Amino acid sequence: MIKNAFDRFRRSPAFAGFILFLVALVLNAVLQGPASFFTVKSINTLFAKNAPFIIVTVAQSLLLIAGTMDISCGVQVALVNVVIIMAGQTLGLPFIVCCILGVGVAVLASLACWICCSVFRLPALLASYALTYIIKGINVMIMDVPQGKVDKVFYKAYDSQILGFIPVSALFIVGVLIIWLYVRHNRFGTHIYAVGANPRNAFAAGISPMKVQLKAFVLKGIFIGVAGICITLMIASGNPLQAEDYGIRSLSACILGGLGFGGWGNVACAVFGSGFYVLIQNSVYYFFSLLVKLIPGFAVTSYWQNFVSDIIIFLGLLMTIVTAKGQRQALKEGIVRQFRRSDRHYDEPTAAKKGGDGNE
Amino acid sequence: MSNPLAAQQLSASQRAKMFIQKSPARMAFIIAALIYLVTIIISPTSLNPSAIGSIIMLTLLLSFASAGQTIVLIGGGMDFGVGAVMSSAAILTTTIMNGKDGHFLQLLVTALAMGAVVGLLNGVCTVKIGLPPMIVTLAISNVVTRMQYVLTQGSPMGYASPTFIKTVTSRLFGLQFLPSIVLYAIIIIPLVYFLLNRSRFGKQVYLVGNNPTAARLNGINVARVQILTYVFSGLFAAFAGMLGAAYMNAARCQIFDEYAYNSLIAVIIGGTTLSGGIGSYTGSIAGSLVMVVLSNALTTVGLSQPVRNVFMGLIMVLLLILYNREKKVRQ
Repeated sequence: MIKNAFDRFRRSPAFAGFILFLVALVLNAVLQGPASFFTVKSINTLFAKNAPFIIVTVAQSLLLIAGTMDISCGVQVALVNVVIIMAGQTLGLPFIVCCILGVGVAVLASLACWICCSVFRLPALLASYALTYIIKGINVMIMDVPQGKVDKVFYKAYDSQILGFIPVSALFIVGVLIIWLYVRHNRFGTHIYAVGANPRNAFAAGISPMKVQLKAFVLKGIFIGVAGICITLMIASGNPLQAEDYGIRSLSACILGGLGFGGWGNVACAVFGSGFYVLIQNSVYYFFSLLVKLIPGFAVTSYWQNFVSDIIIFLGLLMTIVTAKGQRQALKEGIVRQFRRSDRHYDEPTAAKKGGDGNE
Repeated sequence: MSNPLAAQQLSASQRAKMFIQKSPARMAFIIAALIYLVTIIISPTSLNPSAIGSIIMLTLLLSFASAGQTIVLIGGGMDFGVGAVMSSAAILTTTIMNGKDGHFLQLLVTALAMGAVVGLLNGVCTVKIGLPPMIVTLAISNVVTRMQYVLTQGSPMGYASPTFIKTVTSRLFGLQFLPSIVLYAIIIIPLVYFLLNRSRFGKQVYLVGNNPTAARLNGINVARVQILTYVFSGLFAAFAGMLGAAYMNAARCQIFDEYAYNSLIAVIIGGTTLSGGIGSYTGSIAGSLVMVVLSNALTTVGLSQPVRNVFMGLIMVLLLILYNREKKVRQ
């Protein structure tokens, strides 16, 4: 039973990402020292600082599975942050209402992207890059310089733990994942894979790709809204020009976790990919502080840390695809085998099989 | 009575559609002219020789950067490393020249070698390992950018040499609208035309971009051709970065990073498709002109930075809608 479950997991798209994540986790724990890593405080800081990024990655994975993408995710998070702070500051609305307003704005921004990508059928990459300009401009129009504050009650609550060990910030991530799991086990969850893998076939099967992508974009907007709330609570003020690189970084985190473009992979890929991203940056930081401690007179700038972590992320990218390729091959062979088994009256000629393989 | 009129209108709209879609390059030139006309109407002072000179300068710079991007896109790939390579080449220029003449050859060899190495890495990782080109070129350009910071400690030293600056920015024959970067264009543009339209390599690039399987069955080494497109992209980007450093005089880290996206959009506006196999360098030059004229227009009209950003984004979306839509699902 357990062996079976492990076997299934080994063949799942998330496996490569999981291995990377595990390596990064062990590396981080060793470099930081297990005694100080496995404390409530350090785990809490890790979640509190990175919850927005992880949620953005989950949102991005949703779009990737649906066959599109949105690299304006990052500025959308900043938009939510700006709206929440300015609504509280100028209109005097209570914080909770501001948050709901922020989520609404994020959904609107997502819909703008949906109109470009699905209704006008523009290439998602370029359309969302153009949107980055628009949303960045709007951010600065709403709030020209970083300002504002959040009530102490709220940001203290974000930084605290429930029952003394569960970080509140982790609950946001869990909430997003529960919404996703609920959706995944609905009809929409199946449709999204069908549309992502091949919109034409999905259309022929009676699914409207446009509607499915609309739902995906709305859901992504809600997730971005949650990420925006997290980032507002994290920095406890407003900044119109932050988090811009989340859009592209979330994309590469998704690929790191083993997602492909369109109809391949699941949300675990996004979680492991972003986890790897976060933990590698963390462990490189501790690696350099360890070096400073061990070698007297050793001093480097933070540029070196960024350099090393980017190299590791690049290598991780290479690793994932090598393993994911093998998995995809295995999956394809599995499907072919099943097809042959069911079709007993048909002997496939070897020459035809060769031609078929050559197409790939 | 209304019926023939409707038919006529339909045919007129169809004709307009055909006109737009037949030659994206011509359309891009028309759009650029329109945008410039609007700029002149709004602020007549912008019609002066030196403004035209700077437009030509920036257009040529962007079109050199997008030369490689064009080749890569036609070959079915995508290169986000253009910006990082340009910035690195600019930093190399100021560091090696250090404000003195006589280091041009050394610089040329170093910068082109750097561009070729980055391009080769992009190509090998994309083609041989099968990563999505967008992600891998982004990851590599991140590493290259970080390297700039590590090697220069965040603040590059030096200046481009006076002679080199003169060969790029001084005006020819005392004509204010003719910057001497045109001399480089006389070499680069025919070179790209030769590569794409007159050489065996160019034909292979079109074939590979159009249908890799058919190209392979025709005996073309698909992987080699695609890797070469990335190498050319790195070379052209490095050269553009050198000229850019001369234009800017001094360099800083990430100085030309926006050229990664700008070159991509210029190439797309010029009618090269993301799916590969279709496109021309004329289109890319026209697309570069549109991008430069557009940002020039938004600057001269005197809008504030955020409003300018919003307009830039909206116009980019409009341009994409005009003639870069994907096929309908229902046909």
